[in-house]
Amino acid sequence: MKSERLTAIRSGNKRTLAKAITLLESSLDEHKEESRELVDEALAYSGKSLRIGITGVPGVGKSTFIEALGLHLLSDGFKVAVLAVDPSSPLTGGSILGDKTRMELLSREKSAFIRPSPTSGSLGGVAQKTRETILLCEAAGYNIVLIETVGVGQSEYHVSGMVDFFLVMMLPGGGDELQGLKKGILELADGMIINKCDGDTIQSANISKQQYISALGLLSQPEYWSTPVLTCSSFDKNDVVKVWNMISEYFDLVKNNGELENRRNKQNVDWMNALIKEVLIGRLNSSSEVRSLLVKLEGSVKNMEITPYAAASEVIHALDLS
Amino acid sequence: MGSLEEKVKLPSLDDWKELAKVQMKGRSVDDLVSQNGEGILVKPLYTENDIEGISFRDSLPGLPPYIRGTQATMYAGRPWTIRQYAGFSTAEASNAFYKKTLAGGGQGISVAFDLATHRGYDSDHPRVSGDVGKAGVAIDTVEDMKILFDQIPLDKISVSMTMNGAVLPILAGYIVAAEEQGVSRTDLSGTIQNDILKEFMVRNTYIYPPGPSMRIIGDIITYCSMEMPRFNTISISGYHMQEAGADAALELAYTLADGKEYIRTALKAGLGIDDFAPRLSFFWGIGMNFYMEIAKMRAARMLWHDIVDEFKPINPKSGILRTHCQTSGWSLTEQDPYNNVVRTTIEAMAAVFGGTQSLHTNALDEAIALPSEFAARIARNTQLILQEETSITDVVDPWGGSYMMESLTDQIASKALDLMEEIEAAGGMAKAIETGLPKLRIEEAAAKKQARIDRGEEVIVGVNKYTTTEQDEVDVLEIDNEQVRESQINRIKEIKAKRNQEALDGVLDDISNCAKSGTGNLLELTIEAMRLRATVGEVSDAMESVFGRYKAQTQTVTGVYGDAYQDDQGWMEIKTAIERFIEAEGRRPRMLVCKMGQDGHDRGAKVVATAFADVGFDVDLSPMFSTPEEVAKQAVENDVHIVGVSSLAGSHKSLVPQLITELKILDAKEVIVIVGGVIPKKDYQELFDYGVKCIFGPGTPIPKAAGEVLDIIADIHSF
Ligand code: B12
Ligand SMILES: Nc1nc2c(ncn2[C@@H]2O[C@H](COP(=O)(O)OP(=O)(O)O)[C@@H](O)[C@H]2O)c(=O)[nH]1
Ligand SMILES: [Mg+2]
Repeated sequence: MKSERLTAIRSGNKRTLAKAITLLESSLDEHKEESRELVDEALAYSGKSLRIGITGVPGVGKSTFIEALGLHLLSDGFKVAVLAVDPSSPLTGGSILGDKTRMELLSREKSAFIRPSPTSGSLGGVAQKTRETILLCEAAGYNIVLIETVGVGQSEYHVSGMVDFFLVMMLPGGGDELQGLKKGILELADGMIINKCDGDTIQSANISKQQYISALGLLSQPEYWSTPVLTCSSFDKNDVVKVWNMISEYFDLVKNNGELENRRNKQNVDWMNALIKEVLIGRLNSSSEVRSLLVKLEGSVKNMEITPYAAASEVIHALDLS
Repeated sequence: MGSLEEKVKLPSLDDWKELAKVQMKGRSVDDLVSQNGEGILVKPLYTENDIEGISFRDSLPGLPPYIRGTQATMYAGRPWTIRQYAGFSTAEASNAFYKKTLAGGGQGISVAFDLATHRGYDSDHPRVSGDVGKAGVAIDTVEDMKILFDQIPLDKISVSMTMNGAVLPILAGYIVAAEEQGVSRTDLSGTIQNDILKEFMVRNTYIYPPGPSMRIIGDIITYCSMEMPRFNTISISGYHMQEAGADAALELAYTLADGKEYIRTALKAGLGIDDFAPRLSFFWGIGMNFYMEIAKMRAARMLWHDIVDEFKPINPKSGILRTHCQTSGWSLTEQDPYNNVVRTTIEAMAAVFGGTQSLHTNALDEAIALPSEFAARIARNTQLILQEETSITDVVDPWGGSYMMESLTDQIASKALDLMEEIEAAGGMAKAIETGLPKLRIEEAAAKKQARIDRGEEVIVGVNKYTTTEQDEVDVLEIDNEQVRESQINRIKEIKAKRNQEALDGVLDDISNCAKSGTGNLLELTIEAMRLRATVGEVSDAMESVFGRYKAQTQTVTGVYGDAYQDDQGWMEIKTAIERFIEAEGRRPRMLVCKMGQDGHDRGAKVVATAFADVGFDVDLSPMFSTPEEVAKQAVENDVHIVGVSSLAGSHKSLVPQLITELKILDAKEVIVIVGGVIPKKDYQELFDYGVKCIFGPGTPIPKAAGEVLDIIADIHSF
């Protein structure tokens, strides 16, 4: 049975969509249950967007680029959702989410929906719910979903596993150290841009571009697409359009050759696995008997009274009974 | 006749230390050394040893390096100019006020424009509905300018105008108004602030991005150096930095670095150093740190002389730093407001001992609203008393030769030099601003200061110590902005109906083309446009279409406030309460801190945001200058529990109710709205009636606010 909530989301009610995302992000068990049902329902109406992940070190210009790209896409008639995963402040504090200050014009637009999410909390936090959030945005009719994620830590791996196109942004210069990004990120990239190619940096941007092209040349790439490297100034509309043309070329290609579907199907398998883990861990934590057994066994393992293997099977057994 | 030493053997410094130790019951005198925000150590006693090696210890006033003053006889010859910054409502109302002040002993005019004008919007623009005439006077065309200066002889009375963003149409409007009054521009004297760099850093009334903004400054300096020999083309301002949180060293360093950047701009525009340097002026803020403020002003003159010297001037006037000063508004309190008269007096004395050329003294109702007539009178009289009842003016640089003062002057100068070097290394201030570092430094200083005050480490009488429950009644100047807006809109309509539209369109096109090509003088063209009755907004648009509008670079400090509170029990209690909240709600309490309308006061919003995040809230920030409709959309999309409006420029009664309405339209009436900032007490009930849950005025300790906000959210989500 279709819930009222989904009907409201599909009719474009932003309040409902936003509240539903909060539900997805919630750490409460009852909310998790509820949100799984909602996502399951929404699935039938999802899948119709282009999902684009954008990563890079803080300050590289992701938000500024998204502001420019988003406005361009709106003028092309798209409806754009932006999901921004901000780094949380250190230690125990909350986050300051200033994303909309960088997307001032885009955030005013009726056809744009921008949702910054804090990453704080356990286990990578709400960023883990980004996939589900994408689905809800699609059900709400957004046909482009841009996901901004900080390219330090783990979030870029998560995000690249849930998008159709993964764009990596770099700064001019410093190509050799890869600017604090892990080398592995190149393997995730479907496209790269050297941003801030304006003013004094044009020359070094072009040098960086060559360096990245040769670095990418060493990686194995699919036959149908080799990761392009473009220079860009996010302040220059033409540059942003140039990047967009590159991305849409990719989509034309993978829609026709079936790779888009392939990729999404593979991602669904990952998603399933992630969900299984999540549910199991949830169950571990929700049964107080199992939890106390776990605590007890941790002690026993530490004291070498029981082997890790035996302890694990004991927990699984208890879980079966609970 | 033998010397004194032969007759009496004076005790030594060691003898003093011994004695001090005894009198301090065994503690060392080093315990009495205090460190202030600048990181400069201030000792309990200074002696000749402290000025050893200081090269300028025997300098003289009126002579290089000008530490002791710009002129040989200073106030003994002629006292400083009393110049009170004012402006509100319509041109008519402000004009009446200026005439009254001049009659009452004021010696020059200083115009405060409203925020719509500052940002290049006409009064009929939809983004400024709450701002027209509120925090300054509304000016749309030269007709308003003519009213503003009606019966004020512009060849005799010097006029200072605080205008930076819409500097071209305003300066041009002033020139044309004088022209039509029969005064030639060559006879105009006064100052236009025209200091855009600090706008990007702290004052926030920019329009165009830094590059084109600097071009405009180049055009103005070029034009004025030829056409307006008695007019100061720029007032390089540290005042706003101090008010935004900078300590004296930061204020000094960044202001001088700005000055250096303007010199380069003018040279690049083709001028020689002596063509314009004598017409550069400065503007300092003077707070409660008495000795340091005097030292800062002395050091500034010396450093500026050195800076200008690099450019090989021939005219000695090029290297003399002349300055205006304003006492600190930030140091004034809403609580026990009559204390503010005392604070202002002390600050005014520091400005005078520092050798200012002109001075504004703040009114006792500073933290409540624009000055009432009564409060403005007392503020002005404070200066008259200093000039005419004390003998302070009789002696030039009375602190000269003080071991302490010479030593502090030396120390703050070298601190500033270090900071300036950092800016130079970044490629000068215009470049440094792009990185956001200077702004962030100032915000960090503001957060630290807030924590020191909230923890009671820095005392503010009536706020965090010696508080009183007595409420003094103070008059509040209230402006009906709706009415001002309506009358401005009507006047714009009349003017537009009567002017030669075709001719004007031609000139506006010329302005756009001049902006595009980079050749020609934008001020010259703007004067033509203003003669043809262009509006401020039209001229601004003609350039915006080429230059674009600058978007604020919002960066935020984190951890600074929280660090000061480590191990504080009250703080830990809030943290624990937030943990409980998360357990019950599934997420942190989430608040959108927003700035609406053209109000650019962001110090409070930033400090609150960073502190709330440190204690455990998720805090969203709105872009500056949002409309209520936009804020409601942000609140909904981010699904916040609460919207915290920070309002200082008086538009709360227009914009907060609109926000509440917009939230309702978006099905989000449960979103809680609270308000902070400068809200007169008499407006509280009206805001509560609209649905505002809580109001936090100036002086609110942030942990207290955080606790209360948490309670409000928890209450509504009922647990
Ligand atoms: C500092 C200051 C400035 C600085 C601003 C620097 C900056 N980047 O913020 C400078 C010098 C640039 C400046 C300029 C102007 N200013 Co001013 N300024 C002040 C001043 C002296 C202090 C404000 C301040 O920052 N206090 C420190 C902070 C920490 O306190 P706060 O903002 O009040 O915040 C506290 C509480 O209110 C509360 N709070 C505030 N917001 C929120 C939000 C939430 C969610 C919560 C929980 C709590 C909370 O908690 C905070 C901590 O205690 C006030 C007078 C005063 N004493 O209040 C005038 C004042 C606000 N300025 C005024 C004016 C008119 C101007 C100008 C418009 C003048 C002009 N015509 O050119 C300009 C233009 C500025 C602009 N772009 O808008 C007027 C406004 C008049 C009115 N309301 O009718 C005031 C009241 C002075 C006066 N009496 O005339 N100003
Ligand atoms: N010169 C230049 N600056 C840029 C460009 N893109 C972004 N910036 C600036 O870089 C800073 C960081 O940008 P932001 O979008 O917030 O970066 P993010 O942290 O990656 O989202 C801001 O000051 C931007 O104005 C660009 O293409 N050229
Ligand atoms: Mg960003």
